[in-house]
Amino acid sequence: MASSIKYPDSQAMYFIEGDKLALITSVDSNGTTRTSSRKKFKAISETVTNGILIQYYSEPNSVTAITDNLDIDNTLELAVVDYVKKCLYMDKAGTATDAGAMQASMALSNKHERSFKQCVQRYGVRKKDKTGGSRVVKVPTLV
Amino acid sequence: MAVHSISVKELISRVRQVFPSAPETYIMNLINDALVEIGTYKVKVSHAKISTTADKMYYNLADGAQDSSNNKLEVNQVLRVYLMDSDGDYIKIPRLIDKDLLLADIASEDNLNVPD
Repeated sequence: MASSIKYPDSQAMYFIEGDKLALITSVDSNGTTRTSSRKKFKAISETVTNGILIQYYSEPNSVTAITDNLDIDNTLELAVVDYVKKCLYMDKAGTATDAGAMQASMALSNKHERSFKQCVQRYGVRKKDKTGGSRVVKVPTLV
Repeated sequence: MAVHSISVKELISRVRQVFPSAPETYIMNLINDALVEIGTYKVKVSHAKISTTADKMYYNLADGAQDSSNNKLEVNQVLRVYLMDSDGDYIKIPRLIDKDLLLADIASEDNLNVPD
């Protein structure tokens, strides 16, 4: 069922409050624009199946079996290897009884942590960015 | 040409080159920790549809929130919001910056977070 809102771009707005999406409209349930300027925008006044479409950055799917593939671009997969090794070297340093072995493990843990951060923070966006080609600015027709 | 990607099994075998006795379950937990960490860096864009409810202003985006098909949303950051118009098309709607305009009308108050 379609909504009764004819021009959502001018009759509806959203904002984010914590972990909630707030949707407000200036239209009542029969599609008439509210005339009161003070209380013009209120909650949407109708139930619409699939009425909202959101585009968002989401979390990659977790892995549950060893046959799973990672739900990230393959350019970032080596960062996961670095993360796992960082944690394992940290564990090894924590359980080492020899001071030299502990220092070596800490150094390797720091090395893998740097590699991980470099991959996802400094190069993450560039590595997976698929934007290309020349840019065009489209000017609206005013006549 | 097939794209090379690493499965969990291959990742575990790489890790076991230096940690031969590392438990498989523990490595998988660490992989999931890494994916949560990587997920904070704009790596995956998703689209989801949510049904509106009459007189409901706030829609849940928490980790456990679900879309109309009962799939978990797992939202990190909202990029754009579209609303279905009277023709059934989705039209992008603007984000309200000055939200002091209206926080809750009388019908929406029961959807606010309240102390437990």
